[in-house]
Amino acid sequence: MDKRKISKVVGLAQASVGVAAIIFAFIFFYNIFGLQGVLDASETHVRLYLWVLIIFGLLSIISGLLLFYEQ
Amino acid sequence: MTEPHLKRNLGLIRTTMLGVGGSLSAANFVIIGEAAGMAGYAIIPIVIVCGIISLLTMFSYAELGTAIPLAGGEYTFSKVAYGGFISFLTGWFEWLSNMFYTALSAIGFAYVVSYLFPQINIPLTAVVVVAVFTIINLMGTKETATAETIITLMVLAILGIFVVGGWSFMQGAPTEQSASPIGLLGIFAATAYLFELYLGAEAVAAAQAEVKNPGKNIPRAIVLSAVILMALYTSVVVVAVGIAPPEVLSHQASPIAYVAEQAMGPSGAVLVTIGLAITGLAATNEAIMAQSRVLYAMSRDGYLPKGLCKVHKRYCTPYVAIMISAIFTAIFAATGLVNFVVYAVNLGFIIGFSIVNLAVIRLRKMAPHLKRPFKAPLYPLTPIAGITASIFLALFIEPSVLILGFEVIIVALVVYYIRMVGYHRIRIAFGGISLGLGVCVCFTAYLLAAGTIVLQGAPRGLTTLAFAVLSIVGAIQIIAGVLNLLAPDH
Repeated sequence: MDKRKISKVVGLAQASVGVAAIIFAFIFFYNIFGLQGVLDASETHVRLYLWVLIIFGLLSIISGLLLFYEQ
Repeated sequence: MTEPHLKRNLGLIRTTMLGVGGSLSAANFVIIGEAAGMAGYAIIPIVIVCGIISLLTMFSYAELGTAIPLAGGEYTFSKVAYGGFISFLTGWFEWLSNMFYTALSAIGFAYVVSYLFPQINIPLTAVVVVAVFTIINLMGTKETATAETIITLMVLAILGIFVVGGWSFMQGAPTEQSASPIGLLGIFAATAYLFELYLGAEAVAAAQAEVKNPGKNIPRAIVLSAVILMALYTSVVVVAVGIAPPEVLSHQASPIAYVAEQAMGPSGAVLVTIGLAITGLAATNEAIMAQSRVLYAMSRDGYLPKGLCKVHKRYCTPYVAIMISAIFTAIFAATGLVNFVVYAVNLGFIIGFSIVNLAVIRLRKMAPHLKRPFKAPLYPLTPIAGITASIFLALFIEPSVLILGFEVIIVALVVYYIRMVGYHRIRIAFGGISLGLGVCVCFTAYLLAAGTIVLQGAPRGLTTLAFAVLSIVGAIQIIAGVLNLLAPDH
């Protein structure tokens, strides 16, 4: 497996992790599946987690795409 | 085969009408009512003071516009004076401000027209207005300026009838007076609020690449348009507060139409509504032209993709920049978020005015031998006064809008970095970020496994699952980080 293929696979995985993090952030924020109760999160913590997960997700997506479309 | 360039086909009258037409917006005649509520009868001197503050900066525009006769307005001036990120940021704010101003003008038009036709869909009407004037702008500057001149002259005639009719009414009937005790804070707040009245006059500078004999016509057009606007707004406000008390005006959706109805009956209200609707069209037309020229200039300089500075071979207009601007404008026009758009417009222009005044001072020092067909009078008092006034006005902008402005600066920084720094260095940066994220995630997984972090109320199986997921995510981030860091530099 050459380096370019590894980059594509890892880039795809990283971008997918980013998308999943953002989706999870919104599921958590809107308390779908009662996640806030399961994780015993206060309102302040919910906003903090939303912010952290979105930043994490966006950075992962950009980094993943850079790897996937490596020149 | 040579690339087509912008044509110089705008004379003094057309250039002046660009400035006047750009400033006359339906929204301006609505905010007069709100400002009257803030400042009472002090609104009359406030309108004059706002005009003088605007004129101070217009002198700077005139000096730079004639010394640097290139398209782009504030952006081009700051590029020559500062370059780098400052010029990019100026262009970024200039484009956004003009884009929001276009949307505001279109929405204002739709609201005014809804006075006569209440059944219309306001967002849809605003989008249609943007589309129509995009097509006019695509056809060429000559067609644009001709339309602008006709529209502006019609509006001036209608507002002239309003002023004369209202003045005659004031002479013949006793008017209701009000003490309206207003504090100093209200007067300052109203001054900042009415700053928007004179926005648009600087569009003359943005179109300088298309002005005939720019050395003479640009300063004359800038000063002429400022004087015409001061006379017009002062007359309208004198008549308005002379017929209806400020506290009554502040509760009207369309205060000028209300005053016209009091003075000239229903036909007067209809006539003024038509006039205000036309001003919405004129301002939309002007702002579309101004924002597309900023995109054109930023693209020309490599800050934005080169495709944006393509000029149409037949019409000699930057058609890609016009269409891209129109798409963003239509999106914001379709939202109908008037307050958000107004605040964004004010902040952007306050920043732009400050930078223009700073650019005048810097260029006088850096390039003293630069050929300046027009020099700002009483230098350095005029640009310093312009900067002081801009900073003072910014103090009265709502904090939420200032936060929005800060966020816009962050986005600009990211765009500038991605565009200008280079592909390889971006990959190195993201490699480091991914590595850092990976280490953080792995450390979180370790704390979870060690029991330092406890998922309250979660079953043990969920904790194990979370540990596994975090470990995999951390590993992916670390591998991705290493791969980006090891990317070859081509």
